[in-house]
Amino acid sequence: MKAVGASLPRYDGIAHVTARTRYVDDVRVPDMLWAKALRSPVASARILRLDTTRASRMPGVHAVVTHRDVPKNVVGHQEVWGIDPDEPLLASDEVRFEGQTIAVVAAETEPQAQAAVDAIELAYEERPAFTDVRRAFDAGQPQVTPTGNVYFYYPDQPQRQIRKGDIDAAFAAADVIVEGTYRSQGIEQLPMEPAVAMAIPEPDGRLTIHSATQAMYYSMDITARHLCLPMGRLKFVGGTVGGGFGGKLDTQVEPIAALLAMQAQRPVKWRLTREEEMLCSSTRAYCHVEIADAMTKDGWILGRRTLSLHDAGAYMRTSAYSCSKHTFHLAGAYTIPACAFNTFVVMTNRVPSAAMRGFGVTEASFAVETHMNRVAEVLGVDPWEIRLKNANRVGDSSPSRVVYGNPSTVSTLLAAADAADERLSGEYASMTNHARGGELLPAHLVEQQSEPRTHPLAWRDARPAFEGGK
Amino acid sequence: MALRRGRGIATIEYPTGMNQGGDPSQAWIKIKPDGRIDVFSGTVDLGQGSKTVHTQIAADMIGVPYEWVTMNNADTDSSPVSFGTFASRGTFIDGNAIAVAAYRAKQRLLEVASRMMEVDAEDLDIGGGEVSVTGAPERKLSVEEVASTAAWSYGEMLVGSGAWMFPHVEPDKETGECEPHAAISYASCVVDVEVDDETGEVRILRILQAYDVGRAINPVLVEGQIQGGAIMGLGLAVLEESFPFYPSLEHRGAQLGTYVAPGMRDLPEMVNVVIEDPDPVGPYGAKAIGEMANNGQGPATAAAIHDAVGVWVTEMPARPDRVLRALEEPREPRRDGRRVIFDEHLSTATVSSREPGPDGWLFPLVGE
Repeated sequence: MKAVGASLPRYDGIAHVTARTRYVDDVRVPDMLWAKALRSPVASARILRLDTTRASRMPGVHAVVTHRDVPKNVVGHQEVWGIDPDEPLLASDEVRFEGQTIAVVAAETEPQAQAAVDAIELAYEERPAFTDVRRAFDAGQPQVTPTGNVYFYYPDQPQRQIRKGDIDAAFAAADVIVEGTYRSQGIEQLPMEPAVAMAIPEPDGRLTIHSATQAMYYSMDITARHLCLPMGRLKFVGGTVGGGFGGKLDTQVEPIAALLAMQAQRPVKWRLTREEEMLCSSTRAYCHVEIADAMTKDGWILGRRTLSLHDAGAYMRTSAYSCSKHTFHLAGAYTIPACAFNTFVVMTNRVPSAAMRGFGVTEASFAVETHMNRVAEVLGVDPWEIRLKNANRVGDSSPSRVVYGNPSTVSTLLAAADAADERLSGEYASMTNHARGGELLPAHLVEQQSEPRTHPLAWRDARPAFEGGK
Repeated sequence: MALRRGRGIATIEYPTGMNQGGDPSQAWIKIKPDGRIDVFSGTVDLGQGSKTVHTQIAADMIGVPYEWVTMNNADTDSSPVSFGTFASRGTFIDGNAIAVAAYRAKQRLLEVASRMMEVDAEDLDIGGGEVSVTGAPERKLSVEEVASTAAWSYGEMLVGSGAWMFPHVEPDKETGECEPHAAISYASCVVDVEVDDETGEVRILRILQAYDVGRAINPVLVEGQIQGGAIMGLGLAVLEESFPFYPSLEHRGAQLGTYVAPGMRDLPEMVNVVIEDPDPVGPYGAKAIGEMANNGQGPATAAAIHDAVGVWVTEMPARPDRVLRALEEPREPRRDGRRVIFDEHLSTATVSSREPGPDGWLFPLVGE
């Protein structure tokens, strides 16, 4: 019997639903300490004084860490992609969002750790917060970062952009131009298991870190860089996680638990409460999108202009990556010959937004698809038909000029119509994903058609496997 | 005052693996002396079932029963690099790395079997835990026998390793030109709603969807992703918001009781259609299904609300207050020649104090 294609039972399903799977918080070792954090009570402030002397003498306390204890406090989540690091593991002279971690205590019990956190002396001067991305370019706004509220992808160009075709000609030729504004919201990833890590100092000088990360090597790399240790000194244990949805890419509990464990020379576990998971860990980004479509009266899209303002929150994390991804998908599942897309990463005094299921594209899909339905209404065209005629076909070109090899927009539309008992007219019901021709190849799309490319070199390693295995 | 029904449609596409590539995965496999297979990969199972899918790929690639394969993704000392479980990359990229490693482990098995049977390795194949001669299926050895002979008689180790990556690309600064993804999955989503025009409450009654996933390695797990994603999309469409008075920071929900996530009572009727149009590169033709499954419901719901009550709610979620406000203060688009301008009150043109750029509001910085 072939396994591929079979609805085999889950490898670990019975253990999950009978509570026998061992998650990170189920792992207990002797002499384990518990951690609690001091967090920023305000959205923006200058820190005037941070004194942990009294806290460190509290009963049961074995370690207290602040920014002064982190070998390399500022490490970026996107340094491998050339995005400068901006976020301190522990706040030093300022806080930029409510809930930002300032200091963490390890003690014999969680209540003792919390009591010591309450004994930390913090003095700060609150500053006005910046929260509305639409004012990102206005003068006189509070500044979230020393370099302003807008990230620059290039020294002379803040936005990630797409330019394809003759956008001015497309808008000049349009019968109707439809403009709209869309906003998708920040939400919580809301995993069943909040972020948790346990760091254990080993007799040989290594550190074992039990982690609920979604990406063990990625989190190990970030942890190693904060601690200034080679990866060989660390061993991440994980792989079984109670939901992530993107939120468990942020790597904070692991390096902090490691620092506390090194200081105390005892195992330290830090598990976020549900409140911390919701208030202090990243959310999906709010995204403000404005779209203008140049349309013919019979429903062809000649050109599209967009402006996207992505609310990154107080630090970059994965936002520059997310916004590039967003930009590539602003044409949706349609072939648009002229595109001018601008996407800006805007910093605000909100908890940083980061990875969340579909990030970048979820926001684009909401804007683009809601706009398509409005365009159909304005033109008096059927929303199925406007989609089917503009849908990507084999050989069509994407906004970044990828030639589609096997797009299936048309087949999913027809299958959905069938499931929903929608009767499409014969001309539309018989459409396929195949290359354009006849009435589906109007003059403005002729130059969009070419032969799909062969795959890049990196594929080839995999080919013999499937030739042998199919 | 009435309950009004409406229907909306959305079509989406979603890339497989990290945008702009450069996210490798690796795997290695060893075969025990009784033919049982140990797969080591640094991937993480978030609860979606990736371990099961990877086990299925390894079992078929080598030609042994699924039950013979153990996935070991427990720690970084034994398991090689996986860039991680995100970006809808687990089945495709980790799966490809595991498939390559399994293919190579199988070649080692066949080399040993070839020596035992005195038949060229090219003339042998493995299926159901048995090595047999192509065209002469009665000439066969069990994989147990081959693995045992390799370990105890020939003193050889049966291993295979593999890696897979879509190379990193940089978009062109001016045009954005680049090939940023390994594959694209597609879907269409129909949502039926009931809107209470007195309270503004929107109830999603039905979600009907079709997804092209290339190949469903495990159809039940694919449907699990589609259903779970649809519920998350329902939360996006009508319920959840981190900052309910955005852009204000006030009144943030801090607990499950004050943050409105979907619960069992919100579950709609669902019909899920899976299309299998194999991808030329994915393992056994598979493409991603993970993230995209929550992208279609939001826009389809906005359209369904319009169909039901004639107003556009263009800020998600379509909470009762937003729906009521749209009903009580209907905003007609401004018409200016060929231009039909919706939502002016929400746009930067109204909210920002800056003057528009030379190309209008969509280009506040270009040309400066």
